Amino acid sequence: MRILEQTPAKYDHGMRILTLGRIDRVKREIVSAWVESGHDVLEVGCGTGSLAAMMIRCGAHVTGIDISAKMLATARKNAPEAEFIHMTATEIGKLGADRFDRIVATLSLSELSEDELDFVIRISFVLLKAGGKLVVADEVPPSGWWKRFLACLIRWPLAALAFLLTQSTTHALKMFDGLVEHAGFRIVYRRVYLFGTLALIVAEKA
Amino acid sequence: MLDILKDVWFLFGRLFPFPTKAGLRKVGNPNRQSPVLLTCNFELTVRKVVQALEHDHIDAWLLVAPTKGINVWCAAGGGHLTTDTIVSVLKTSGIENMVDHRQLILPQLSAAGVNVWALRERSGWKSLFGPVDIKYLAAYLDKNRGKYLSQREHRCVGFPLRDRFVMGVNLGFNSLLFLILPFLIVSIWINGLWWKSVPLIFLLSLFNSVLALWLPGRPGVQKGFSLGLLVSAVFVLISQTAWTMGQWETLGWTGWIVLLSTYLGYDMPSWSPLWRADVKELVLGMKRTHVEVVPIRCIGCGLCKIVCPANVFEQNPSTKKSAVVNMDACQACGACIENCPNNAIKNNFRAGVCSCPTCTVINSVKSLKRKTTQQKKGGKEPAAAKRFSEPPA
Repeated sequence: MRILEQTPAKYDHGMRILTLGRIDRVKREIVSAWVESGHDVLEVGCGTGSLAAMMIRCGAHVTGIDISAKMLATARKNAPEAEFIHMTATEIGKLGADRFDRIVATLSLSELSEDELDFVIRISFVLLKAGGKLVVADEVPPSGWWKRFLACLIRWPLAALAFLLTQSTTHALKMFDGLVEHAGFRIVYRRVYLFGTLALIVAEKA
Repeated sequence: MLDILKDVWFLFGRLFPFPTKAGLRKVGNPNRQSPVLLTCNFELTVRKVVQALEHDHIDAWLLVAPTKGINVWCAAGGGHLTTDTIVSVLKTSGIENMVDHRQLILPQLSAAGVNVWALRERSGWKSLFGPVDIKYLAAYLDKNRGKYLSQREHRCVGFPLRDRFVMGVNLGFNSLLFLILPFLIVSIWINGLWWKSVPLIFLLSLFNSVLALWLPGRPGVQKGFSLGLLVSAVFVLISQTAWTMGQWETLGWTGWIVLLSTYLGYDMPSWSPLWRADVKELVLGMKRTHVEVVPIRCIGCGLCKIVCPANVFEQNPSTKKSAVVNMDACQACGACIENCPNNAIKNNFRAGVCSCPTCTVINSVKSLKRKTTQQKKGGKEPAAAKRFSEPPA
């Protein structure tokens, strides 16, 4: 039951509240460190297209997919040069093998169920060119019980506030590292933010 | 032990999502020809489906779709069980390697969110809507499907005594949950109101739900009000004969009973599968949801009749075209609109908005706000009013 309707206009604000503004910094870091001019980039769950617009500005060719038609309409306005397709993350196989230099996903893979996540990671491996990278920024459960406890304390009020104001929320990405390595990727970079609750993980197709 | 705790929770807290692991499950010993069924990942639903299948000795593949722990009907209405969800679970669960056929049986109530035509195009799976209740599945899987489809009780939601009892308990529990804070504040001034009201709310909720079919008046506030009068009459009779209660105190409690019962009655339709919350019409004078079949567009496939859980449609025996015959029963679930292959159903319905009182109030306020800002800007016709009066092109 959808209590309140989630709107694209509010979504970005919600994510800013939930990550205490850190998500914008993570997005900037993705663009400056991991995306280069001329790259073919697939963004899974592009949302309002804010990251797509940043990547376009840096000279990349961006294809964005999202499950929500409303979000895509906003994304098309925010990043008119990018190509946006309405499909689920599990349908990206249709886009063709060995095509992309980067597959980027921010706060979207955690929306998937376990089976879906495994499937999407395996398909991503097929879609990437050799040496291509999967760049994922998402919520993760922090390591260590006291950190988890601390994260809970911080997260609950933030999640309540974000939901009340913007009707959007996130989930934590679980078992990601194992699935990625099982699919054949090698994790080349990992950085955590916000007491280990937000992570930027880069995995390379060897 | 854990199961008992869960059962107790499901008796009281059915409103709250309760997710279980999504993915493919085996029931019995399914083979490559066995039927493939789909359900949500609300734990109670999955458990009941498995029990029903085992009881009837049906070997089947059960796809548990990731619907965030929400039941089928609410998930379909609220955008968590959609064509996308099913396309995704068909691809990722590995079912395509386990069976030779491509036929999926969906719960009928998922029709509010799932478009079978789009599903077929995107996934290659032909899907059929199964019965409204899992207990009819054995009859459904029987070869005699043509005869089955004509049986109305397999297609329409009902509200038997058992369900009314469970929903009454839930109504009481949730009302208490939401009323705790205001009650605590009030009980600072009125001593004893809080603890005496707890059993009162539970009883009134239970009566409101169990007696819902027989109370006079329209479902909602009217039924709640008439129950309030009934209970307070009994209360006055007892308080004046058995107890020694002062006149003013009796009057106070009588008013309180009527007020509480009316409030609980107003919330009742959202707990029932039979009625819609009528706050929109009651508070804001908005138009009731209306659907109509455009005869020229109707191709006579009969899908609207199959997906409708309230028997709103009837097919013309000779032309096979559908027509609305029972608008009052409409639940505004949107299943017919979602699944009509030729956009033949004219409506003033906004998809993605459920009809529980909370949503209705919030959306009414939203549209009212929109209306006033529009008028301030000097626009001739408010956009919100237009949407409710005209069907989308």
